[in-house]
Amino acid sequence: MNLLPWLVAAWLLGIGLYGIVTSRNYVHLIGCLAVVQSATYVLLLAAGYRWNAIAPIFYNHPPGTPAVDPVLQALVLTDVVIGATVTALLLALALQLHKRRETLDPEDLRPLRP
Amino acid sequence: MTPKLRLALFLLACIVTLPAILLLALHMPAFGAHPLPYGDAIDAAAPGERHISNMVSAVNFDYRGFDTLGEEFMLLCAVTGTVVLLRGSRGEALEARPGIVKGRRILPRSDAVVLIGRLFAPLIMLFGIYVAVHAMTTPGGGFQGGVIAATSALLVFFGDGYHGWRGVMKSQVLDALEGGGAALYALCGFASMAIGAPFLTNFLPLGTLKDVWSGGLMLVENAGVACAVGGGFAMIFLEFLEETRTKKGGAKE
Repeated sequence: MNLLPWLVAAWLLGIGLYGIVTSRNYVHLIGCLAVVQSATYVLLLAAGYRWNAIAPIFYNHPPGTPAVDPVLQALVLTDVVIGATVTALLLALALQLHKRRETLDPEDLRPLRP
Repeated sequence: MTPKLRLALFLLACIVTLPAILLLALHMPAFGAHPLPYGDAIDAAAPGERHISNMVSAVNFDYRGFDTLGEEFMLLCAVTGTVVLLRGSRGEALEARPGIVKGRRILPRSDAVVLIGRLFAPLIMLFGIYVAVHAMTTPGGGFQGGVIAATSALLVFFGDGYHGWRGVMKSQVLDALEGGGAALYALCGFASMAIGAPFLTNFLPLGTLKDVWSGGLMLVENAGVACAVGGGFAMIFLEFLEETRTKKGGAKE
């Protein structure tokens, strides 16, 4: 159990990178990048986890109740939002690429033409 | 570099890094049972110092508020980049016709989709605003609420089609929300400086714990984030859906 969260994060990183390395389509590649990014969510949330603790909201529980780490939760929150918009930006690039070059395969883009 | 060579290099990199990752994982602190000094310090301080019960918002808008300003502008840059890349010849006109793929018919909308879209779009918009407004008390905040509110606009698209949807989504309004939200956040910081305090100091009255209107300056920052995220995501939807239309002049793809 001690190893599992870290190995899940490493597995997500590895499988995402494998997808990027072998990708033959930019949309697939951007999806793989999102998988790599989700490795950071798992890592951060696992680092801030605490057994038998509440979420860091002291509305129904009095302040002082053991809670998981709010700093890492805040990091993941902004990470998710920024990740979504950056994915949109990359998809827009892929769309323009398809309009200009009629392909989404990274292999078909060599050599770089003006 | 051929795909085979690239894969071989990737496998080599895996073989090299795998022992390091394993070693690191074995030496990590015990999962869920190690001290969390920063989080505990904020949990102990924020309800008393800032009068709010949502610690994630306390971190985002106050203790780490300057970082959130940076993230706000990252969001603005990503949305602006998407808009710059996609704004062009396609679908800008309200009467633009849908793009046609050969051999695929355009099916009429079913009544069930129209009903669900019209029923749920206002409810989800309301829920998004609710989540955004309750940032200081219960789980929620501008980031989550803004995204939820923006998705309600997509339901208008499903329920009423492209033309009805474009009638609601004015890109000038979305631009103003996106840019104005980010500007509001930055202005909060400068307002603190104007009264002689350091950047983003919480100088407004803090209110009472567990009240929706508690948190002082954090409320204004949260409103800025909600506007920027909601406007930004709605803008992205607008630009991508414009791509489904034919080019200007009615020329088929």
